[in-house]
Amino acid sequence: MRRDVFWLYYVLLVIAQLLLTNYLRVSPYLMLTILPAMVLCISIRVGCVGAMLIAFATGLSVDFLSEGMIGLNALALVPVAYFRNGIIRLVFGNELFARSEDFSVQRNGFGKTMLALLLAYSLFLMVYVWIDSAGVRPLLFNAIRFTVSLGASLLVSLLTLGLLAPDPRR
Amino acid sequence: MQKRTSWISKLANLVIFVLLEMTAFQMVYSNAPLQRSWAAHSAHVFMDKVWGGSNYIGYYFQLRGVNEQLAQENFALTEELFQAREQLRKAHVDTMALDNRPGFSTLAAEVVKMSHNGQHNYLILNKGYEDGVQEKSGVVTHNGVVGIVDAVSAHHAFAFSFQNNDISISARLGLEGGSGLLVWDGVSSGKAVLKEIPLQYKYQPGDTVFTSGHSLLFPPDIPLGIAGGSRVINGSTNEIEVKLFQDFGSIRYVTVVHNNSFDEIEQFVQ
Repeated sequence: MRRDVFWLYYVLLVIAQLLLTNYLRVSPYLMLTILPAMVLCISIRVGCVGAMLIAFATGLSVDFLSEGMIGLNALALVPVAYFRNGIIRLVFGNELFARSEDFSVQRNGFGKTMLALLLAYSLFLMVYVWIDSAGVRPLLFNAIRFTVSLGASLLVSLLTLGLLAPDPRR
Repeated sequence: MQKRTSWISKLANLVIFVLLEMTAFQMVYSNAPLQRSWAAHSAHVFMDKVWGGSNYIGYYFQLRGVNEQLAQENFALTEELFQAREQLRKAHVDTMALDNRPGFSTLAAEVVKMSHNGQHNYLILNKGYEDGVQEKSGVVTHNGVVGIVDAVSAHHAFAFSFQNNDISISARLGLEGGSGLLVWDGVSSGKAVLKEIPLQYKYQPGDTVFTSGHSLLFPPDIPLGIAGGSRVINGSTNEIEVKLFQDFGSIRYVTVVHNNSFDEIEQFVQ
């Protein structure tokens, strides 16, 4: 994918996340987010530091422009960027790094892609839910919130994959 | 070279990761009161666990000083107790229109040496005649009788331990029961035998044994131990087992008691 198109989609998805955060408040147990999928889809050529800085800026933009807690999305998203290379290496192997290629559902398979997303989302939601609860919510509430948000966000993230990690053969 | 560059790169990634996380956390901390309070509480818990542990080590090394302070407090309380008992006794004696006795003087001391394993055990105290210790004084704690001072030097006193075959003290069963002689059983560190209790004095196992006050060495009503089983000797007296309150293995601070009328009474007896 051309790099300028990727970043255009990326900015549009940030706006989409802002709309989700501000207008789609269904339940206190549900937190819909596409940010971890977006960070996971950043090209591996960007590098770890670059991905962390982009994740930080993305999280902070959402924090500032939505009604949430300032710094919370950034705090939860930077670990996803830090462990992103590890997740990709763990799930897809070293070949992607050797060939400097990005992953896609068509080339690497739906299962592996979902596993990578699951790990990235789990990391994000663990930090997010834990910090957001600030020790005042019971463990059961946090566990339900984590599980519901993980399931729903994984489904929504499939839409972002079509934009940020399309089939390279097309 | 490539390996070193890889390590430096990983370290740089980690440093930037930590910096970004700290920045984000600082933002959360300064903008959300609930999270601020939670973070402060978590920090306090952490500090309590970490620095609290180091304090315990400090406390351990301060134990000697604390023990000495407690011993001083214990001595002050014992002294007050003796004075209160003496006032009670005087009040009782006054009603019987008898003459008052001067009572007992007390002095705090520390055991510097003590033997446990012989049949003639002894202890050495860190106070001598320059501190006010006199021969023929009793050595007690709040748990009972420890021994009798036999000799004093300028700064030390030698006392026979109660765990000594030659020592017997006058003791009484309960506050109003029969009196007899309490002697060490010669075997165990925590047991003694109360001898020569006339058969007409009834008692129950579990009754407390006190100093009788008939001895010139010890004030009355110091609890000594608990009565146990008994046997009849020669058909005329009871011999009762007594479980002592005093743990002779852990004695460190004691009170030396001296009967101020001791010399006068001794001369009178002679």
